[in-house]
Amino acid sequence: MVEIVIVTIVKLLIYFGIMLLFVAYGTLAERKVAGHIQDRLGPYHCGPHGILQPLADGIKLFFKEDIVASASDKFVYFLAPALAVVPPVLVLAVIPIGDSITIGGKTIPLAVADVNIALLYFLGVTSLTVYAIMLGGWAGNSKYPLLGGLRSAAQFISYELILGLSIIGVVMLVGSFNLIDIVRYQKDMWLVIKQPVAFITYMIAAIAELNRAPFDLPEAESELVGGYHTEYSSMKFALFFLGEYANMVVSSAIATALFLGGWYAPVHWLSFIPGPIWFLIKTFALFFFMLWIRWTYPRLRYDQLMGMCWRFLMPVTLLNILGTGLFVILKNGGL
Amino acid sequence: MVGPLLKGLRITFTHLFKPAFTVKYPYEKLDVHPRWRGKHVLKVDEEGREKCCYCGLCEAVCPANAIRIYGEEAPPEKSDVGKIAAIYEIDYRRCIFCGFCEEACPRGAIVLTPYYELAEPEREKLLRTKEDLLEKR
Repeated sequence: MVEIVIVTIVKLLIYFGIMLLFVAYGTLAERKVAGHIQDRLGPYHCGPHGILQPLADGIKLFFKEDIVASASDKFVYFLAPALAVVPPVLVLAVIPIGDSITIGGKTIPLAVADVNIALLYFLGVTSLTVYAIMLGGWAGNSKYPLLGGLRSAAQFISYELILGLSIIGVVMLVGSFNLIDIVRYQKDMWLVIKQPVAFITYMIAAIAELNRAPFDLPEAESELVGGYHTEYSSMKFALFFLGEYANMVVSSAIATALFLGGWYAPVHWLSFIPGPIWFLIKTFALFFFMLWIRWTYPRLRYDQLMGMCWRFLMPVTLLNILGTGLFVILKNGGL
Repeated sequence: MVGPLLKGLRITFTHLFKPAFTVKYPYEKLDVHPRWRGKHVLKVDEEGREKCCYCGLCEAVCPANAIRIYGEEAPPEKSDVGKIAAIYEIDYRRCIFCGFCEEACPRGAIVLTPYYELAEPEREKLLRTKEDLLEKR
């Protein structure tokens, strides 16, 4: 019993460390990618090619003046940034980074928790992120954050549906909500080949849920100043930022497990590289894809955003579910 | 509908690997034109005498009132006409780098150089005196 607790704590610490590192260097990657896409260099001053920039950013954010908006609802105002970080950290528990390793004769599964409803847990926990944004927007007692929070709520609820519906196709094929089972199912063929439509709709919905460009209406700089975090400064602002990037990492990781074969190598002769490394490479590839999207497309108008969700993505995902169901029935020999 | 989206992605991806258009400024600098109007310099002649003879034309022509000049008598080893500027101040908080002082000067004593890094942490340091401006030989 004690052993399980210790192993779990060690795994959690390692996961948390990996995620923080990923987030820190995610911000650097974002700025570097943004720079190079715009024919600039991005951060260059701290360390060779700006390698130490995340450290400098962190120190700067720590020492910024912590302003509390005077007319704000203090309790909610302090609660919102913390809420922004909690959901992605909770999701870490179900991410299957690798199969299992053997240390000293004992087999230790690499995922922190082997939950049979991992996907439902993921959907449930990530949808809590909207509270952070909504409450943060409301607590500042200022009009721009409020507008940002309202937009975010509408956007989040719409795209949550698409996210769930695109996952259902995968669940129907595998017959399990367990992420480890889903990854094992992809040993020979990745699910992105069997479910390309679901993958595309999942990525669109994930980017929309993360409030990232081209769907970053809740923090549209040109119209809403900073959106929901306009009234925040110092570490509170940093927590919102951390939450956003952690959510990106977690969404990419879940997409990796769902569609890109998790810890399996893309071709068999490459499987000498350990699974966790493959997992991280794939996660980073999806993370990069999100950055790439952000610096390519302009922001959508609000009605376009909602129209795309309800008039285009919704029917497409439903058709995908119908098609997958048909396939599963026919494969099992008809009715 | 998907075609143009993919085209956009392709364009940004190719730009990702293009060499940067910008310059790493504090480490690399762009060459400016030799007639660039930057910091002023007060010229001296071959024998080390100041060319400025306190005619006051630069002060009079300066549209931003950035120049303050005050003269004094000088022995022949310091000036070939018997007068030099005792005080010569250019206030870079006011200067607009129009170059009228250089145009007005009858003896070519004040010249604008391509040196452009004039920023200071304190505003008061932007008031440059004669010692700063005099050409070093």
